[in-house]
Amino acid sequence: MGEHTVASFDEDLGQISRLISDMGDLAGSMVSGATKALLTSDNALAQRVVSDDAIMDARQRELDDRAITLIAKRQPMADDLRHVVGSIRMAGDLERIGDLAKNIAKRVGSVGISATPRDLSHSIDSMAQLVLIQVQGVIEEYAARDAQALAKLRADDERIDVKYTSVFRELLTYMMEDPRNITACTHLLFCAKNLERIGDHVTNIAENAYYVLTGTQLPANRPKLDETAIPAPAA
Amino acid sequence: MKPMLSTELNVADTTAEKAKIEVKNLNFYYGQSKALKDISLSLPERSVTAFIGPSGCGKSTLLRVFNRIYELYPKQSADGQVLLDGKNILDRSQDLNLLRTKIGMVFQKPTPFPMSIYENIAFGIRLYERIGKSEMDGRVEQALRRAALWTEVKDKLNANGLSLSGGQQQRLCIARTVAVKPEVILLDEPASALDPLSTAKIEELIDELQADYTIVIVTHNMQQAARVSKQTAFMYLGELVEFDRTEKIFTSPREKRTQDYITGRFG
Repeated sequence: MGEHTVASFDEDLGQISRLISDMGDLAGSMVSGATKALLTSDNALAQRVVSDDAIMDARQRELDDRAITLIAKRQPMADDLRHVVGSIRMAGDLERIGDLAKNIAKRVGSVGISATPRDLSHSIDSMAQLVLIQVQGVIEEYAARDAQALAKLRADDERIDVKYTSVFRELLTYMMEDPRNITACTHLLFCAKNLERIGDHVTNIAENAYYVLTGTQLPANRPKLDETAIPAPAA
Repeated sequence: MKPMLSTELNVADTTAEKAKIEVKNLNFYYGQSKALKDISLSLPERSVTAFIGPSGCGKSTLLRVFNRIYELYPKQSADGQVLLDGKNILDRSQDLNLLRTKIGMVFQKPTPFPMSIYENIAFGIRLYERIGKSEMDGRVEQALRRAALWTEVKDKLNANGLSLSGGQQQRLCIARTVAVKPEVILLDEPASALDPLSTAKIEELIDELQADYTIVIVTHNMQQAARVSKQTAFMYLGELVEFDRTEKIFTSPREKRTQDYITGRFG
């Protein structure tokens, strides 16, 4: 993309891009930190994730201010307009990812990982790794302006939905096996749901980024495979 | 609804709507210099079309072909076809006076005649019609109301048109244009010399007038083109680069040259 005749216009757009990139990095670090804190009962790390959320909120407010000022000053058109409006929306999703990571971190003290079976930790961990790859990937592909990679990344959310369904059923099994697992498993269920929601926000970001880059929308319907709301067949 | 997206020529398919003006393979020359190159596009009836592009791109020239005003100047010529309701206005047999009653024009700089506000309107009507005083009074009032000027001038119709403010003078020129009941109104940067409030009044007027007239506006103000028009043509170096629905041009144009121009990356 060529440079604007007015150089400060490029600087204003660049600042918005940098904020999206910073928020993406922070979101990745919060998801990674929250999961690690959960799986290792690391309260100090959990506390850091909680405090990082305030930084995320501040970044979003800064981006909103810059974007609105840019619209007022520059009246952006075409790809510039899509870039600014898309960034506002992507920042909203990144801020929500921060909230969800914070929610996971806040449960660390309540779960008491030693009370939960090791297999379950493994399932949550592998689900979190899938989510983390998506969070980091969406910001990288957007920075690389790779629309096709974004379309594929959006479709890959299906793997998280499948994993969530599997974790959900596994948790039910542990709860049925031993009622002493119920408290920890319920907290973990919320954590798994939070991870699944983070995946949904990543798909929103991928859709917005695709529109910013191409000017066209991805098809509205993406296959959804969260089957936890579907009653299991009678045994 | 049938999509209005264009062919590979980047020209909007407006066949879904009745075309008021169809331009086919139009070339225009200032002496030896070719100012318009093989322009083809279709302007829908009762709709606003904007022409945008850098200075010298040919947008005003194209506008001036529509009422053949270029013929007032030597060594200017056009070939190709410009069909008004299917009839080629470039034909030698075309009655120019009749053409200019059908296609009115308003210029960048307000051009009221040095006579009363009333006479500014009545003068044009008298050229084409013989009507009585009371009917003329009605026509003058109607034209001034149509141009959203009546309430401001109704008590001073005998004042000189030149005594009005710039914005009022421009609306007087629009009133003069609509008074002779044209079918098409050509606006050549009609608000570029006006303050924001007068500009807003002109834009509001354009919005109202499109219910009855086919309007073509040339403007350097892209936000204005985005606000007032339904379709936009981007021209560059005498070529029609892209013609499409206005929202498409200003959100996701297909041509890089269009994108570079409207985002300020040109040259």
